[in-house]
Amino acid sequence: MTDVQSDPALAVAATVEVNAVSVWFGPKVALSELTCSFGPGVSGLLGPNGAGKTTLMRAIAGLTGVNEGSVLIKGRDPRRDRSVHCSMALVPEDEAVPGGLSARQLVHYMSDLRRVTDRGAPERALQTVDLLDAADRQVSTFSKGMRQRAKIAAALVSDPDVLVLDEPLNGADPVQRLHLIALFKQLGADGRTVIVSSHVLSEVERLAERVIVLVHGRLAAAGGHRAIRDAMDETPRHVLVRCDDSRRLAGLLVGLDSVTGVRFESKRDELIVQTLQARELAIALPQLAKSSSIRLIEVRPLDDSLESLFRELVR
Amino acid sequence: MSAVTSTSRPWRPRPRLLAIFIYTWQSCFPPKRWAAVLMPCAGALLFGLLARVIQSSPDRAFAQVAAEGIFGLVIPIAALVIGDSVLGAEIRAGSFHFTWLSPAPTWQIVFGRWVGGSTVALATIAPSAALAAVVAGSPSSAWPAFAAAAVGSLAYVAVFIAIGCLTRRTAVWSLAFVFLFERLLGAALTGIAQLSPTWESRGIFVGLLDDPPSRLTREGIPEGGAAAVRLLIITAVLLLIANWRMRHIRLSGAAD
Repeated sequence: MTDVQSDPALAVAATVEVNAVSVWFGPKVALSELTCSFGPGVSGLLGPNGAGKTTLMRAIAGLTGVNEGSVLIKGRDPRRDRSVHCSMALVPEDEAVPGGLSARQLVHYMSDLRRVTDRGAPERALQTVDLLDAADRQVSTFSKGMRQRAKIAAALVSDPDVLVLDEPLNGADPVQRLHLIALFKQLGADGRTVIVSSHVLSEVERLAERVIVLVHGRLAAAGGHRAIRDAMDETPRHVLVRCDDSRRLAGLLVGLDSVTGVRFESKRDELIVQTLQARELAIALPQLAKSSSIRLIEVRPLDDSLESLFRELVR
Repeated sequence: MSAVTSTSRPWRPRPRLLAIFIYTWQSCFPPKRWAAVLMPCAGALLFGLLARVIQSSPDRAFAQVAAEGIFGLVIPIAALVIGDSVLGAEIRAGSFHFTWLSPAPTWQIVFGRWVGGSTVALATIAPSAALAAVVAGSPSSAWPAFAAAAVGSLAYVAVFIAIGCLTRRTAVWSLAFVFLFERLLGAALTGIAQLSPTWESRGIFVGLLDDPPSRLTREGIPEGGAAAVRLLIITAVLLLIANWRMRHIRLSGAAD
């Protein structure tokens, strides 16, 4: 049995368990023997187009059956046990919304289906996504961002423990993005399991404490984005160094064991240092600069973002 | 999240079945769909006018036109639009998950949609069939036409809901059901006709007429109340099939 503590793909106190799941559509394999789990807090789901993110989210919600393996929400199968949907909600990426309904009617419909006994819940859900002013307009006339918010309100009305959001920030303006990011973080902080997929990696970095990376339907990496990056020891990392004497520093750096390459950037005072031992370099570089009386102006890792991680994993 | 968690004023939400029924009326029939339902209903009135030019008594003329035109064409086409609207169209559009991803039992979803579609059919198809009898100058045929059209439409809506659960190409398969299964095979094979809403609703109509034309009676097809009971049994079986299929449905997005 896999140890939850040692496997970063498995969450402690998991509410959503994905066990050796495979899903295929005819000859196309969308997910292949995927095992991971999600617990309270915000988890990011990352991957390039066609990686299987949407299929995984649909399988978690029960919209798509799995061909092999199992998906369990709090120990229950979302395809067999419909009561799971009392405590789970999906916000799909599709723009499709029911025609003829206003945002208020949509949220009330969801609240009726989920037997929400709090009369004020629909209005609060609309208020939470800042849609009260447009609540009586037909959802089909909404912009993409407003539709997303209406769907989020419909999902939030039953106060679900598990919230699955497929590209929820699509179409949202910058102010709404900030608002929604804060909302999702708050939901996670309150102990709900929030699973968010996004192709805007900088947003996931800000949103999620934990990241699951899918590539070609398989698990490519899992954990905090820095932890994932650290785990890729064999991958060279690049550090930008700006100083007042870049030529002399470059000569000194090539003598270090931790440095595998140095090149000059277009600006004359900038160096790109390649290393396989980032920690050793982080200790050695200031000592070297100090002993040589070279003033360091800027030291910045170039590939600590999820963008670069993505590139490495997909390569 | 504080904005959503309750400082509750408890109340009883609407029953799910009622919510699904109201949703069906509010969301599944945009103006274009209403137009598509009402057009064949207008066609029923034209068939009523057509009966006036037939050289026969008004009752017999209407019976002949209704058997072919109203029960063979108007009711299946109008019911197809309704049946597709209440389920198939929404599945294709990708918005059905709003209903499916809820704790509502699948039988309530299927039954609620069927009741929603059936009430639309009862409000449009059945009155237009009765009105066609009046237009044809045969008011005594209005009740038989209404009753037969009503029961026939209920069965048809169930047929098209079941097809909507079984396949994504609801309209194509529904047309195949009407024209290949019912019209072609049903005309040749009584065993098929016994399962066909067209033939059975025609049987109800013929059975309720005072003096039906003999060419409209068909051996092996019950008439009047017996045909109505058979259609209701067929409707129940179709709703059970739809419910079974609804549990295993694999919903994809609109873009898929």
